[in-house]
Amino acid sequence: MKPIRVLIAKPGLDGHDRGALIIAQALRDHGMEVIYTGLRQSPVQIARAAVQEDVDVVGLSSLSGAHKSLFPKVVEALAAEQASDIPVIGGGVIPAEDIPFLEKKGVTKIFTSGSPTDAIAVYIKQMMNLETRVEPKRIAHIGIAVESLEGALPFYQNTLGLTLEAVEEVESEKVRVAFFSVGDSRIELLEPISDDSPIHHFISKKGQGIHHIALEVDDIRQRLQQYKEEGVNLLHEGPKQGAHQSEIAFIHPKAAHGVLYELCQPKQED
Amino acid sequence: MGKSSETQQGKHKWESDMEKAVQRFPERKKQFHTSSEIDINALYTPEELKTQAYEEKLGYPGQYPYTRGIQPTMYRSRYWTMRQYAGFGSADETNKRFRYLLDQGQTGLSVAFDLPTQIGYDSDDPMAEGEVGKVGVAIDSLKDMEVLFDQIPLNEVSTSMTINAPASILLAMYIAVGEKQRVKPEELTGTIQNDILKEYIARGTYIYPPKPSMRLITDIFAYCQENLPKFNTISISGYHIREAGSTAVQEVAFTIANGMAYVDAAIEAGLKVDQFAPRLAFFFNAHNQFFEEAAKFRAARRIWAKIMKEHYKAENPKSWKMRFHTQTGGSTLTAQQPDNNIVRVTLQALAAIMGGTQSLHTNSRDEALALPTEESARIALRTQQIIAQESGVADTIDPLGGSYYVESLTNQVEEQVNEYLKRIKDMGGAVQAVEEGYMQREIHQTAYDAQKRIESKEEIIVGLNEYQLDEEINPDLLRVDEQLEANQIQRTKQVRSTREEVKVNQCLEALRNAADTNENVMPHIVSAVKAYATVGEIANVLRDEFGEYTAM
Repeated sequence: MKPIRVLIAKPGLDGHDRGALIIAQALRDHGMEVIYTGLRQSPVQIARAAVQEDVDVVGLSSLSGAHKSLFPKVVEALAAEQASDIPVIGGGVIPAEDIPFLEKKGVTKIFTSGSPTDAIAVYIKQMMNLETRVEPKRIAHIGIAVESLEGALPFYQNTLGLTLEAVEEVESEKVRVAFFSVGDSRIELLEPISDDSPIHHFISKKGQGIHHIALEVDDIRQRLQQYKEEGVNLLHEGPKQGAHQSEIAFIHPKAAHGVLYELCQPKQED
Repeated sequence: MGKSSETQQGKHKWESDMEKAVQRFPERKKQFHTSSEIDINALYTPEELKTQAYEEKLGYPGQYPYTRGIQPTMYRSRYWTMRQYAGFGSADETNKRFRYLLDQGQTGLSVAFDLPTQIGYDSDDPMAEGEVGKVGVAIDSLKDMEVLFDQIPLNEVSTSMTINAPASILLAMYIAVGEKQRVKPEELTGTIQNDILKEYIARGTYIYPPKPSMRLITDIFAYCQENLPKFNTISISGYHIREAGSTAVQEVAFTIANGMAYVDAAIEAGLKVDQFAPRLAFFFNAHNQFFEEAAKFRAARRIWAKIMKEHYKAENPKSWKMRFHTQTGGSTLTAQQPDNNIVRVTLQALAAIMGGTQSLHTNSRDEALALPTEESARIALRTQQIIAQESGVADTIDPLGGSYYVESLTNQVEEQVNEYLKRIKDMGGAVQAVEEGYMQREIHQTAYDAQKRIESKEEIIVGLNEYQLDEEINPDLLRVDEQLEANQIQRTKQVRSTREEVKVNQCLEALRNAADTNENVMPHIVSAVKAYATVGEIANVLRDEFGEYTAM
């Protein structure tokens, strides 16, 4: 993958460049290519440098109180250079109440004093990853934890009227699984077959109910790599082998507002 | 049994007790050290100072090598000067703040200029856009300076001006305002910062390249020696070096290296060391690590005294004394839970006083967010007044003197500073080191390492990476009137349209000729400001003659 290119710039006359230099180095340590303009750059100079250097993002730093007039001018100058697609982020001594104004003027994000450099790097990666991120294709299945398949089957088969496709035992997860198809999607009932099964833990903590939602994706490896860069909490780094030779991975519920998401990519048909 | 072997026995017992205790209660850190990576022992004892010759290392207050202070009485006669750096917006507004601070018991003035003034641009210069009146007061012409000091008698206050590249212009304006108040130049007291080397290193308000900049400085030395004998011609500043991220040791080392470069330049320009050295002043930072900071000030005085006496062979004791101003550390303040900053400032101020500072600025709690409000500035001044009047710390001289730990730290800071000084000397001196970017690189590396330690929580900053609040309360902040820039431009246009243009041009041409030769430029700058030539016009003449500096 091509490294992300960042222009760090000091608009106006402010000479405080400790923060700008630290961020430049931190982003380099995160694998980005960083160009630092040096002090006393006019908005037009900054926009031209951004275009010439073909950067993906511009980071502005001001500690002199001139941000309200200078940051929007950089956004305007980029537009004049036909480069509005380059996002502008900023930081420095910026009172919280100025942030909505700056965002309205087209500054994508302000990092105030005390922001960790890692958070800034992650934000930039997220922004860049977003451009290449493809929507998941469909809900592959919804996983539902049940105490016993036999107990639950009558409801699904008779009450809902679904057709049972198959019952399988997945030894690695210590579960028995029953599949029902619903349109493009499926419902998966999961029954623990051992006390150390994750489903057993789930039921004893939370009771029966929806356990996870599985999304089918095309790009599981790239996606996991990006999530890792962005600091998204994953249950495991690389994809695991799932049913039917698919590749699967789980996002931690803490990263997903309490829902356990499975990503799955079916075996590629050659 | 002799006394010292009793001490030995006690120490051995403590060491074995300590070793046992640590098994059960491990120490908080593997290794304790100061900001300058000086290892800190669990305990300091008389042994550390065994070889220390008291008279040689410490001496008495007001005596060489001044480790314990530069005056014989220190704060028993008079407290340090409480000098709060202030300035914002227009000259009228700043004049009001100055008079408020003087009314509240402040004892000296300290002017903050806006960035266009500091970089020699008038308010209507395109480069000044957005910056007028933001970090300090906008001064374009003598007219603004007259307003700034309206009803403030210049023979009664001392004024410190944070001005570097255009120091000669603002000093000339100060002289001119004095004359209008019928105060003679020789009565004026105060300080101009006038320290260009640290601008290249850390602060960024340079204009011209190093060589002509050094010449402007020595011109000021020569002019003041004759005309303003009570004015401090330079304030050699470690403050900004520290703010840019240096350690305490680097702060002192780079500042003293710069100081030596100015002394060398003045001697080369034909001045005698004892003619100008008594008017050299210093400016340091006070950060949080209390003992290291106190030791730093004590070490700095001793190092400078030795250099002036032994290296430069100065004979006047006034040339040996390092007089300094201190400001608490702006970069230690947090935008989060800003009231906590009052506590930080108190600790830092106390360290500066323990270190024997001559004057002190205490930062306001809201300075990580904006310029201080009047209320915040008052609390900052009150902090000094409480320390002075209520704590009793000023009632004896150098109360930390003789502390095994502080003396040991003072020695270690001195050693490490001397190592840096040697390295810089080997590079060809401070000007050379600055041009090669040596100090800049050292500082940046230290700053980056410190940031990493904070992000990994190896270093805890209360309210920032520990003990955070979910919802920060946004305090009321000082806002600079956005209309100010337009008003200031209007005022300067008015000045330009009412002055005698022919005279202005004559003065600027005379200045150009002087700049071109070796003639001292100061008298020409004084004439030019009196004719109401602006800061930008004067600085532009010198830009034409000297060129402009661009950083690497």
